[in-house]
Amino acid sequence: MGEYRKLRVLVHRNVKVYFKDKMLFFVSMITPLILVVLFLTFLGSIYRDAVTSFIPDGVNVSNRLINGFTGGWLFSSILATSCVTVAFCSNVMVNDKLNRAVHDFRITPTKRSTLGLSYFLANFLTTLLVCGTAFAVSLIYLAIVGWYLSFADIAMILLVILLNTLFGTCLASIAGLFINSQGALSAVCTLVSSMYGFISGAYMPIAQFAAPMRAVIGFLPGTYSTVLLRYYFMRGTTEALGEYLPDGAVDSLRRSFDGSIEMFGGEVPIWAMFLIIMLAVVVLLGIYLLLSYLQGRRLRPAKAPRVAKSV
Amino acid sequence: MIEIKHLKKYFKDVKAVDDISFTVTAGQLFAFLGLNGAGKSTTINIICHALLPDSGEVYVDGLSIDHDMPAIYPKLGVVFQNSVLDPKLSVYNNLFTRAALYGLTKAQFKTNLQFLAEKLDFANLLQRPLDKLSGGQKRRIDIARALIHQPQLLILDEPTTGLDPQTRILVWDLVSELRRTRQMTVLLTTHYMEEAAEADHVVIIDNGRIVASDTPNNLKNQYANDFIKLYDYDAGLLKEITKAKLTHTVDKGVVTITFDDMTQVKQFLVTHANQIRDFEAIKGRMDNVFLNVTGKQLQGGSNG
Repeated sequence: MGEYRKLRVLVHRNVKVYFKDKMLFFVSMITPLILVVLFLTFLGSIYRDAVTSFIPDGVNVSNRLINGFTGGWLFSSILATSCVTVAFCSNVMVNDKLNRAVHDFRITPTKRSTLGLSYFLANFLTTLLVCGTAFAVSLIYLAIVGWYLSFADIAMILLVILLNTLFGTCLASIAGLFINSQGALSAVCTLVSSMYGFISGAYMPIAQFAAPMRAVIGFLPGTYSTVLLRYYFMRGTTEALGEYLPDGAVDSLRRSFDGSIEMFGGEVPIWAMFLIIMLAVVVLLGIYLLLSYLQGRRLRPAKAPRVAKSV
Repeated sequence: MIEIKHLKKYFKDVKAVDDISFTVTAGQLFAFLGLNGAGKSTTINIICHALLPDSGEVYVDGLSIDHDMPAIYPKLGVVFQNSVLDPKLSVYNNLFTRAALYGLTKAQFKTNLQFLAEKLDFANLLQRPLDKLSGGQKRRIDIARALIHQPQLLILDEPTTGLDPQTRILVWDLVSELRRTRQMTVLLTTHYMEEAAEADHVVIIDNGRIVASDTPNNLKNQYANDFIKLYDYDAGLLKEITKAKLTHTVDKGVVTITFDDMTQVKQFLVTHANQIRDFEAIKGRMDNVFLNVTGKQLQGGSNG
């Protein structure tokens, strides 16, 4: 019971530290903000043109459907990247290491495992909270520009957000174990914020990458959460567009916008994508626990005082 | 309360702590005096288990830091050199979080907080974020954090560096009260002479080794010179002092003569009683002890 209360207090404190630090919050919101700006300035119109290019001449498709499709694409991008980038930038454990707050916690009768778990849970909760808010905004946006989501789509999107946040938290927690300076923290945050958008296909559809690049990206588990988000965000609009498109064009449209992905010459089924993400989470969680244990063991003193080497 | 035996900690070729041993008895104010890099903070970090020693044994209240840290932590309160509290959170939140980690109930926390807020005068700052406080206010909160769980051993790592005199008095009044009422032991590292001079026992550490260890008075008797300052005296006296080859300086007409001990001071005053009209006899100071023991000048404070 004692350790549970400590865990609860620590998680609360860690979440509070993140949201009270405006700079930390702003840095973690850079990627979603960049995506929104890119979408408003030119990506929106590019994808709108790309979608309309699939529609045969003379066929009239409502603006709400096109906007619903591109809006779904935008928010699937935002959520696919945010789950990872927010997790990296909101890792309070790294900041605590840098400003030595962790030393203050370590001189209290609190188990190191409780402290470690509090950082993991807080990181997961803050990321989930930010991504959950982004998802709520996406629903409002889509309700205004063009609503084509079903209840099942929303439920599945929530599940993917949950898994992707867990995936991002595991990655960020592993990286956090090795970050020991402000410079390294800034470098990692900047690198992840700028790189992850590209490799997850958030800025540009993976389908437009060169074949070798596509093959490499296919081996990254994060890719599948992007594809899953795209699939569920655009499923309603794609089906509605199918009424206006010739045979095969719907699949082509879905592939062009990463609503599906091919590996080893075949389309990866939805269940396999879920399985890949879940396996990635389990493996990363295992790596994180192992590394934490090894780091803790390295810091633990010898059971008996060692004999000094003569110098 | 603390027993350290043959403690060693090297950082590659740097002997941060080089085979030191000492004992701090319960209720004592024990001062660790040394320049920056002398090994004071390394020793404290080892006691707190933030650093592992290369060799040696450390016991706190009879418990070994190698085996019994979970039982030692509740007895420890530490004021670090720099604040380690959360700058964006309020004073109340900072203290509440730390108190919870010691298993304090809300009622216990409230009682302890009320006591400390009154003694350290921060009741009006409770809802303020830490980064909106002045240096002195922040330091008071650091000290409150170290005392929030009523530790038996308070470790103060240069606690009053950069503090205004009023805050320093406030802090030392509270520490004195807790020593008196709760028999709290205090381990202090400082380079303020006046703080070291108030201790029950002083250890001078230099290059990782203990170079002197005794009560301030004994250290002064053993290592410090005593002085006479002559303000009003016969003109011929200065010539006699020079002729007698007494170590002295003259500054704006004030002659300061250095003696080995108070016996010599007394003898000089008796011999020259008719030639001296205004004078001051000064007992050796801790900075003089430090200079004679280490050959180095310690900065910060010259009284005591």
